[in-house]
Amino acid sequence: MIDRLWFLLPELIMLGGAIACAIVGLSRDAGFRRTLPAVVILTLIAAYAGSLAVYQTPNLEAALGAGAVALPWLGSVVIPMVALIGTVLVLVQAGFVDRGYESAVASGTVRFDPLRSARGEYYAFFLLSLAGLMLTCEAPDLIWLFLALELTSLPTYIMVAIGRSDRRSQEAAMKYFFLGALAAAIFLFGFAMLYGATGTMELVAMKDVLVARAADTGSIGSLATVGLLVALIGVGFKLAAAPLHLYAPDVYEGAAAPVTAFIAFVPKAGGAIAIMLLLSVTGWAGEGGSLPPAVLVTLWVMSALTMTLGNIGALLQTNVKRMLAYSSIAHSGYILIGIIAGPGAGFAAVLIYLLAYGLGNTATFSVLAGLRRGGEEVERIEDLAGLRERHPGLAWAMAISAGSLLGFPPLLGFWGKVLLFIAGVVSGQLVLVIIAGVNSAISAWYYLRLIALPLTGSPTGSSRAVEGRRTFGPRLAGVLACVLLIGLPLLLEPMLREVDAAVRDVDSMRVDMTSIEPPASPGDYDLPG
Amino acid sequence: MMLHGLHVPLMSTGVPAVPAADVIVAPDLAWAGLILLLPLVSLVLCGLCAAFRVRSKLPAVITSAALAGAFVTSVMLYLNYTPPGEVVHLLDWINVSWGSGAIDSFAANFSLYIDSLSLLWIMFVTGLGTLITIYASEYMEPDLGKGYARFFAGVSVFLFAMASLVLSDNLLMLYLGWEGVGFASYWLIGYYYQRPSAVAAAKKAFIVNRIGDLGLALAVYLIWVTFGTVQYDELTTVLQHEDWRTSFEGWTTSAIPYLLMLAAFGKSAQLPLYVWLPDAMEGPTPVSALIHAATMVTAGIYLVARTYPLFMLEPTSLHVVAWVGGLTALLAATIGMAQYDIKRIMAYSTVSQLGYMFLGLGVLTTYGAAYHVFTHAFFKALLFLTCGAIMHGFAGQLDLRKLSGLRHLPGWRITSWTMLIGALCLAGFPFTSGYFSKDAILAEAFVTQGPGFRVLGWLAILTAGLTAYYTFRVWFRVCAGPAAYEAGDEHHGDEDHSGHFHPHAPRLAINAVLVILAIGALVAALPYFMSNQADERLVGGWVADMVHDSTAREGIPGFHPGDPAHAGGHHHADGHAHGHILGMDPHVAMYWISGTVGMVGLLLAAWLHLWRRDHADALRRWMRSRVWIGWLPRAMERKWYVDEFYHAIIRAPLWILGHVCHAFDRFIIDGIFVDGLARVPRGVARWLQPLQAGAVQSLAVVMVGGTMIILLLMALFMQFGWPGGSI
Repeated sequence: MIDRLWFLLPELIMLGGAIACAIVGLSRDAGFRRTLPAVVILTLIAAYAGSLAVYQTPNLEAALGAGAVALPWLGSVVIPMVALIGTVLVLVQAGFVDRGYESAVASGTVRFDPLRSARGEYYAFFLLSLAGLMLTCEAPDLIWLFLALELTSLPTYIMVAIGRSDRRSQEAAMKYFFLGALAAAIFLFGFAMLYGATGTMELVAMKDVLVARAADTGSIGSLATVGLLVALIGVGFKLAAAPLHLYAPDVYEGAAAPVTAFIAFVPKAGGAIAIMLLLSVTGWAGEGGSLPPAVLVTLWVMSALTMTLGNIGALLQTNVKRMLAYSSIAHSGYILIGIIAGPGAGFAAVLIYLLAYGLGNTATFSVLAGLRRGGEEVERIEDLAGLRERHPGLAWAMAISAGSLLGFPPLLGFWGKVLLFIAGVVSGQLVLVIIAGVNSAISAWYYLRLIALPLTGSPTGSSRAVEGRRTFGPRLAGVLACVLLIGLPLLLEPMLREVDAAVRDVDSMRVDMTSIEPPASPGDYDLPG
Repeated sequence: MMLHGLHVPLMSTGVPAVPAADVIVAPDLAWAGLILLLPLVSLVLCGLCAAFRVRSKLPAVITSAALAGAFVTSVMLYLNYTPPGEVVHLLDWINVSWGSGAIDSFAANFSLYIDSLSLLWIMFVTGLGTLITIYASEYMEPDLGKGYARFFAGVSVFLFAMASLVLSDNLLMLYLGWEGVGFASYWLIGYYYQRPSAVAAAKKAFIVNRIGDLGLALAVYLIWVTFGTVQYDELTTVLQHEDWRTSFEGWTTSAIPYLLMLAAFGKSAQLPLYVWLPDAMEGPTPVSALIHAATMVTAGIYLVARTYPLFMLEPTSLHVVAWVGGLTALLAATIGMAQYDIKRIMAYSTVSQLGYMFLGLGVLTTYGAAYHVFTHAFFKALLFLTCGAIMHGFAGQLDLRKLSGLRHLPGWRITSWTMLIGALCLAGFPFTSGYFSKDAILAEAFVTQGPGFRVLGWLAILTAGLTAYYTFRVWFRVCAGPAAYEAGDEHHGDEDHSGHFHPHAPRLAINAVLVILAIGALVAALPYFMSNQADERLVGGWVADMVHDSTAREGIPGFHPGDPAHAGGHHHADGHAHGHILGMDPHVAMYWISGTVGMVGLLLAAWLHLWRRDHADALRRWMRSRVWIGWLPRAMERKWYVDEFYHAIIRAPLWILGHVCHAFDRFIIDGIFVDGLARVPRGVARWLQPLQAGAVQSLAVVMVGGTMIILLLMALFMQFGWPGGSI
């Protein structure tokens, strides 16, 4: 049990950080309150260090109890990724929660009242949600999985609400919360059916039952299949995957840009990881294993529908945030291709894609968060026209991140897409990959506008009124994300090695219990000599 | 990167695993990476200088320091060099495998292949690069604060690309460098981008080179498909193995040399792709000297020498190389005889000399080709730089009819005499460096057996005579005779108050470089006399040693199409029979013949352009007025109508096709397909829009409804089977 707690070290650090944030946020000293993003970043760094320590534990799988977790090494990549993107995300958030209140306090018109301040808890929720994401990838059973997913999502509902104080964000938060609860009910219903069909909550034990049943009767049984389908569709809400995708445009539009950046990535990553874990119960990673046809078809349809609906929806939008919301739906469709492609190459591609998507998405929103027009957020695409003339850095950040999201070589998004498509083709889903290719072409329509308008457009009357915010954070976030989008492809090879090792299934672990080191990849330095 | 189960079909199967080659992997030589790194650093710093609008000569200082550092590194590398060669792994670039088989992988890393051939090349590339940068620091003065930093940034890009081309240990990195030098060349030819002719020349160079690049891309692909590797050391190992070589029969092994040849002919300006090089003289003269005379254009020679074993698999390909080289040499020389722009004459002379080098490659003397590359680099750079000094001093004047007797003018003595040294070398005057290197090629044309190689040899001797003539036509016209000049039209502050023109003579930086290069051009003859370390039976001295240690020697014993005694790629001093010319051994005979022919050309030039200049005009008038011979001067002056021919045969049809395609694209593709199709998704989007009313209730209904529909469908399918059988 002690070992198990040791395994949770990064999450415990995150919890500690959340508490620290809540306390710091209540301080009467404004300078102290301003250090909140730094506290968050330090926490994330500490969590990253913690994950390094955890995953260097000798005999990790023995400490866990053999095969207790379906993908025991997943955290070794997910936690650093969360820490990295979290760092960029928190820079986007810097100085925006309670902005009006803080400036009122600073000007002396209001005295600081801890009860009215929301900044501390905002960052605390930020960290808790990320902790939920970390916990998701370590879930040994359905209860844990459910709790982790909800830990990821619940703080985001509140973040949407307190991110800014206007009716639109209140409305968005309400919608998000109700629909999220509905989705949670749906996938919990699926979990219940899975429990009913197998008599266990533990994913690995469940897989053993289902594999044995499939060996006997040729299928995993209709109750388990339906349970799995319901669970998958429900978890699809986190991904914003069809048919549970409709909330995304409204919520993303209603929330403040920094919050949108957060909710467009964190729950999505949690959903993708949860689906990977859920699918492991079919035993498809094992020898000769495959998905039950109904599950495969459902995922296939979800993927195709999601990307098509997302891209078509994005075409007509004039609101940048709404457009990005639809495009984030489309990205979920691409991610599902990698999930269908399966353990190994497919999952590896999903993780790389999540990284690329997270960075690109955060960078686009960081540009929006870094701009103001008459005290309001910049939302219309036309407002970005000719941005380069006064804010060349922001215009380039927008172009680079949109290019990466579109999959423009040599940016990271391109490699993510290539890996996904290769994994799809290799696993035999050629038709799906072709659909995805057509969808990518459609997405060029609106992404190219995001690239061209800021860089080459001439300023219009309304876009002249756009001005940069003084805050340093979002710009730094944009620069950081763009540098990573350009630079990380150079590290693609080591990254792939890490990711390949991280998605090793518990089945391959069982075969290979004695050696914990990842198998040497044959591509390594085979210069003759 | 591991991509599980990805299968790439390969045409050739059954390639055995490639064992470790005899090349040493030397991580302790990682400092060799400085040769690549320093130009990059200089590029960044020059970029910063441009960004901060530095108005001093700082960019020139930075670049020449960086290039000097690269040169010193190259020399250190040479001093530390032990045959047969070393691979220095710098960093992983592409290293993929998708299985355990020998050809289920593709590796192309940033690794340096240090053997004597690459050392020979990198030493003169960086050395000349340094000198010419110093020269350019003065030459580019009028552009201080304007394009100065841009110019040196371009030079840095070029040096980086050229170094990766020469030093790469695989064909893909070579390709990177190949494209890189092409890009740098485009950048620098178009340096005066306000001038339409410079822009057109830059485009022409780039586009014509693309044709060759296509050949290289296809060749690299076919090499990988056929041999399963693009790394030199593995390739050499595969090719040296008798049993494996026979397993590579097939159309690809025949196609590879021709594709490589196409690439080499594009970059090194040979028929039919030479047309870009004369126009490339639109760039600043230091660029012409560095890129379009001494270094970049020899990349084609390097490519063929480096992949020589592949050419040996298809002996006919070498015959083609020899003939194309020989004919290019002759054609370019005849054009050069009839031009009036001295820089353009030098450009045609470069094309012609490159033709000699290909002739050398074709007649199985990689040594001769490499030696001629080496000597040519010095004397041609020197000639270009003297032309540049004249152009600089006389406000862009390059017409040899409007310049005369420069050596009598104050301050122009160094220019005149160094130009004479360059001209002597180019003309192949006895005991100059050009004399030895050219003879090494000419003699071999008579020794090696091949279709019409004897004819080719005589043509090459004729060309040598023409070379001497046009070279000294320039020198006698411009530097000798009575002093007289007319200024060009590019003035930059060289008139006095009355508007009278004063030529400004070159100063220290230019003169020093000219003198160093002149010494280099003379000293380049010395390696010929140095004793051979590698094999005592060789002649040709140091350069022969350098070639002998590399892939440019014939890698494959017993696979020689011609004389087996020539299995060294350069001949042995004893123990084999030659053909004869005029009853003498070709090597001995050639010293006499080419020396004599050169002197004849020189005297002819002296008669027509020094002693009796009026005779030259009279001769031209007389020839043009006669029907039977009148076409000759006309054709030579109009460059044999090659540009017009290309215009009619290639450009005009393409222009028409382009407009037809444009109309088709505009009205059919865009009008019907694109705009029509583009309406579809947006129409669908409009149709779906009402679903997004935004009320929570309706959203929830769609969510639950969608879930139910999917579940229902799955239930139906599970009950009644899947449409169309299984999935």
